[in-house]
Amino acid sequence: MSDLVLTRHQGAPGLTALAGYEQVGGYRSLRRAIEMGPEAIAAEVKASGLRGRGGAAFPTATKWSFLPKDSFPRYLCVNADESEPGCFKDRVLMEEYPHQLLEGVLIAAFALQVNHAFIYIRGEYRSQRELLERAVQEARQAGYGGPNVLGSGWDCELMVHGGAGAYICGEETALLDSLEGRRGQPRLKPPFPAVKGLYGQPTVVNNVETLSNLPFIVAEGGARYAALGTEASPGTRLFCVSGHVERPGTFEVPMGKTTFRDLLEMAGGVWRGRQFKAMQPGGGSMQILGPQHLDLPLDFKAVADAGSSLGAGALVIMDDSTCLVNVAMRLVDFYRHESCGKCVPCREGTYFESELMHRLEAGLATKAELTNLADICANMDGRCFCPLGDTATWFVMSAYRMFPEEFESHCGAGRCPVREPLAVAV
Amino acid sequence: MAETAAAELVTVSVDDRMVQVAPGTLVWDACEKAGVFVPVYCAHKKLEPVAVCRMCLVEVEGVPKLQPACATRVAPNMVIRTATEQVRKFRDGNLEFLLVNHPLDCPVCDRGGECDLQDFTQRYGPGRSRTSITEKVHFDKAIPLSDKIYLDQERCILCWRCVRYYEEITGEREIVLQERGVHTVVDTFERRPLQSQFQGNLPEICPVGALTHAKYRFRARPWDLRRTASVCSHCSFGCNIFVDAREDQVARYASNDNPEVDDSWLCDRGRYSFPEMNRSGRVSTPEARVGGVRQPVSHREAIERACGGLLRVRSEYGPEAMGVIGSARLTNEEAFALQWLARDVIRTKNLDHRLGKLDKLAPEDFALSIAEIEECDAVVVLGEKPEAAAPVLTLRLFKAEQKRRRKVSRVAVDSDPASLAGQLPANGRIGVVVHQQDVAVARKLRAELTTSTRQVQVLSILDQVNERGCQDLGLLPEWLPGYRPAPAGGMGTREMLQAATSGKLRALVLIDPWAELEAEPGFREAVANVDLAVVLAAWPGVATSEADVILPGRTLVEKAGTVTNTEGRVQRIRPGVEPKLAFPPDLRSIVELGRGMGGDFGSQPLAGPVFKRLAESVPAYSGTQGGLRAIWRAGI
Amino acid sequence: MSAPVAVWGESLELPCPVGGEGGGVAEASSSGVALSGSTLARIREMEAKYPSSRSAVLPALWAVQDELGYLPPWTIEVVAGELKLLPGDVEAVASFYSMYFNHKPGRHVVQVCRNVSCGLRGSDELLGHLQRALGLDAEGNTPDGAFTIEGTVECLGACGGAPMMQVDRYSYENLTPQTALEVLEKIRAEMPAGTGSK
Repeated sequence: MSDLVLTRHQGAPGLTALAGYEQVGGYRSLRRAIEMGPEAIAAEVKASGLRGRGGAAFPTATKWSFLPKDSFPRYLCVNADESEPGCFKDRVLMEEYPHQLLEGVLIAAFALQVNHAFIYIRGEYRSQRELLERAVQEARQAGYGGPNVLGSGWDCELMVHGGAGAYICGEETALLDSLEGRRGQPRLKPPFPAVKGLYGQPTVVNNVETLSNLPFIVAEGGARYAALGTEASPGTRLFCVSGHVERPGTFEVPMGKTTFRDLLEMAGGVWRGRQFKAMQPGGGSMQILGPQHLDLPLDFKAVADAGSSLGAGALVIMDDSTCLVNVAMRLVDFYRHESCGKCVPCREGTYFESELMHRLEAGLATKAELTNLADICANMDGRCFCPLGDTATWFVMSAYRMFPEEFESHCGAGRCPVREPLAVAV
Repeated sequence: MAETAAAELVTVSVDDRMVQVAPGTLVWDACEKAGVFVPVYCAHKKLEPVAVCRMCLVEVEGVPKLQPACATRVAPNMVIRTATEQVRKFRDGNLEFLLVNHPLDCPVCDRGGECDLQDFTQRYGPGRSRTSITEKVHFDKAIPLSDKIYLDQERCILCWRCVRYYEEITGEREIVLQERGVHTVVDTFERRPLQSQFQGNLPEICPVGALTHAKYRFRARPWDLRRTASVCSHCSFGCNIFVDAREDQVARYASNDNPEVDDSWLCDRGRYSFPEMNRSGRVSTPEARVGGVRQPVSHREAIERACGGLLRVRSEYGPEAMGVIGSARLTNEEAFALQWLARDVIRTKNLDHRLGKLDKLAPEDFALSIAEIEECDAVVVLGEKPEAAAPVLTLRLFKAEQKRRRKVSRVAVDSDPASLAGQLPANGRIGVVVHQQDVAVARKLRAELTTSTRQVQVLSILDQVNERGCQDLGLLPEWLPGYRPAPAGGMGTREMLQAATSGKLRALVLIDPWAELEAEPGFREAVANVDLAVVLAAWPGVATSEADVILPGRTLVEKAGTVTNTEGRVQRIRPGVEPKLAFPPDLRSIVELGRGMGGDFGSQPLAGPVFKRLAESVPAYSGTQGGLRAIWRAGI
Repeated sequence: MSAPVAVWGESLELPCPVGGEGGGVAEASSSGVALSGSTLARIREMEAKYPSSRSAVLPALWAVQDELGYLPPWTIEVVAGELKLLPGDVEAVASFYSMYFNHKPGRHVVQVCRNVSCGLRGSDELLGHLQRALGLDAEGNTPDGAFTIEGTVECLGACGGAPMMQVDRYSYENLTPQTALEVLEKIRAEMPAGTGSK
């Protein structure tokens, strides 16, 4: 048996259709889960050590346990709003293994005694949304969803809900507001969704990848899943490697036992024979890591100790031709565009930050402005309503700390001293 | 806040000051209790916390990040620090953020001088700009959202108070957030005009100059204004206001939160009624007929001539040929003095302050207070008249419904009590809100709905600012002060006018003749027909044109005294503007008329001593100082 | 960059343009002042499906945009009326999300991802080339109304195929400025003016 979980059926024909998925044993875990009962499922999930794959890495079983007992109805929301820069694993899981996701959703819904599960998928994933809608239809017709699932007496309606272009809806409370037909802006916490979530009822929000693990965990047992990784970082994870590599793509690897260098090699190494300069793990929100970190294992603590995070499972590789000010500017522009505007430090701070980054990248900023930039970031980080504004400063500041000369060399240079000028201005 | 036993309180420390507060108290409120000011923009006492402005971030020991004081609840032994370097630095930085895209047009902004952005920037903000960004994000300015409100989107700091006000307080949702990020604005759908009758509250809850009053635009700076706490005179609800006056003109009315009455909201009708107080062409000098020709005289001479005439009529035709008509806009003190003048001095039974006849009144008609609407398990509003007469009632009903989850039913006045009974909870407290004109229906409903487990209480809504006080104090032919029955035979207003026209009534004293009275058919003929008409009025009208003696009157923003609102709450009004011309207050004019006829009022003609006297005479009014209700119980 | 242009979605044989689902043809309805019966039916169907009808706001706006290509103010009122909301409630939502248009875009909406992974692999050059070659106006529209090209979008989640662009619902990955232009010219040729918004 291979050490793969999410992609273990890779290459099997017709996986996007129900028949193909059933051919590889699909939906057997759901049957088994219904026989096991909610408590036994939760126990296996706990044994698996599964942690949320959306970025916060919160233990899934613990999250489930926060639901108040005897409070119904309760809801399950699947966070398919994948939009962290550099992340495309949920897209792969939905495009290639939609029924694996639905089976995971149904298992979780049964474990949580939920009768309504929603898959909130970002608006840009229009074709993926329609693919999932068809998969839901198929599953429903086969008796895996809808009323009286597999004759168990338990009803479960699955709905695929499309967003419409808002990164912030990946934040779970913003997702809930969006799903309720409001502006997708994060809610004040407490109360937490487990207590007062969708429609004011207890709600669990889980990521696509998190739930896609459940069919395996139910089939093979939580302990087996955990053993694929290390004790501190159990199981496997789907990493998205992109940027300056020869073969960008997703790679499922055991946690804790694999290093960043392993991932880089899987992706064919740094492209065009160039040298490695830096990398951003976790997604656009996370801090930069340098060559000295390449041999770190993909372990939550090891990466945290290095000052970054595995986040949502991205890894962007940058070669030695990269201007980090330019990369940082791009990310800051992204946060400026995606700030929901709710709180002052994020709404105005990302604007301020982005304007300064543009001046810096154009070689127009003074040294004093660079100092101001750091101060502005300090006034944002940890002060915003939700993590969006906080994280809008993380890459910039970590890159500045790691490559101060590169940032300073931009000051007063009149142009970017690192990049070749573009042939065509945009 | 409900009283909490000391044992249940939690102790927290704010900047090393220990305070005891109820569990669940917001850190912001605990700071206030400790006497520590924490700046806020989005937080508002009447709105749910949103924690979007971040201005109130403070340190809480043991919590790594700064916490929003407006949304964080206290925990036992919590240590809160608001004056640390971390907090100071963030406040400075946050104000810098707020100013990045602010137009800095304070010199032409109506809010200048009373703007929280200005004030906090001065107190906590950066002393200079360090932004090299030359292009700010621009939005629309001076958008007329209605004939009452202007919106300036550039000045807006997006605290969401207006949006939340419309969501939580009125439920009308006329102003919403649009767009997102740094492009977020507040606006109406397609710039459609605001329709709400409570728009005037918007500029008050706006912490900056984004929402401003059309009627106050470019009128004054706060330091030009003299602020006086008083009561809105536009209806019987008794909303508390500040009269902001510039010299002898009222510049605006502002709300002055009384949680028992207005809950800090005013209706536009009341708030924007102030220009009527500034109307020019006042009665500026006393006049009297001298040798058949009316001419300006001294106030003393006017009083003497009035008293001489009144005594003459009385000796010739007897007191029942004389009548006194006040108005429901008199203060309690004036009403009390006027009924003394009529009953004790002139000794007539003909006395009134209203056009229509009052049906019999009972203490049960006034049992429920305004704030108690929220405590009722269900509230029944009979017809549209109560809310039309007292618009702020609508907001109280909305609060009961939305925040307190009470059942509020608006039903037709002629609804069948039996079918209503089925829709109401079988147990608990039922409130019935009715216009006084329909009070008989409420009585019937009360009789039918009351059971051993169901209590029914009525709140009667009146029309005029001191209609309740004038009733309580016996400015009526049927009742003496305190609803003691008056001797039979007294004439009401319309009867007096008829009697005057027919020649039966020979003298009339008209204090503050109001518009409807003057518009009453036959009014001019009646006043012209009597031998003597003594008129006290602020503005000339039909009565003054036919009067034999004219005494200049004051408006309600020039008077001191008390008025009683529809629920019986006795509240002080204070002179917010000085009358341009020096003449005695109305209360003194009334008392002097009595003294001139040989009466002994037994007190100085000043509001304070007169109130003391009337409270002795009407026990329900003793102990109402400080804005308490005069509870009318049976047998007082 | 030698990787072939991967067009994700084509291999799945998706039912093509959505605008026509149930028979409502976009051009016919956008000239009038009413939504097609099929769009209204979709809105009502969504309203009934959710535990709370307000949840149907986003799907309802999608249904309208699928028919008309954008959300003119009168449609906001229609949606509000259907869902028992105020127009302001719906406008607040519609203006929040970047994929809802309040002005009619070109027949095809092209989103060029310029986030980190695409930026590292030449998305700025790609966008610059398209802008120059297609003669875009300030709003990013081609003169013939075939395309609206957006260069400020979220990461489109196809970093493995960077640089990429999304044309309507389809991803085109591993692009060069030349192959990107070829893709658009092919789309323009296959879907001449007047054949629908998607």
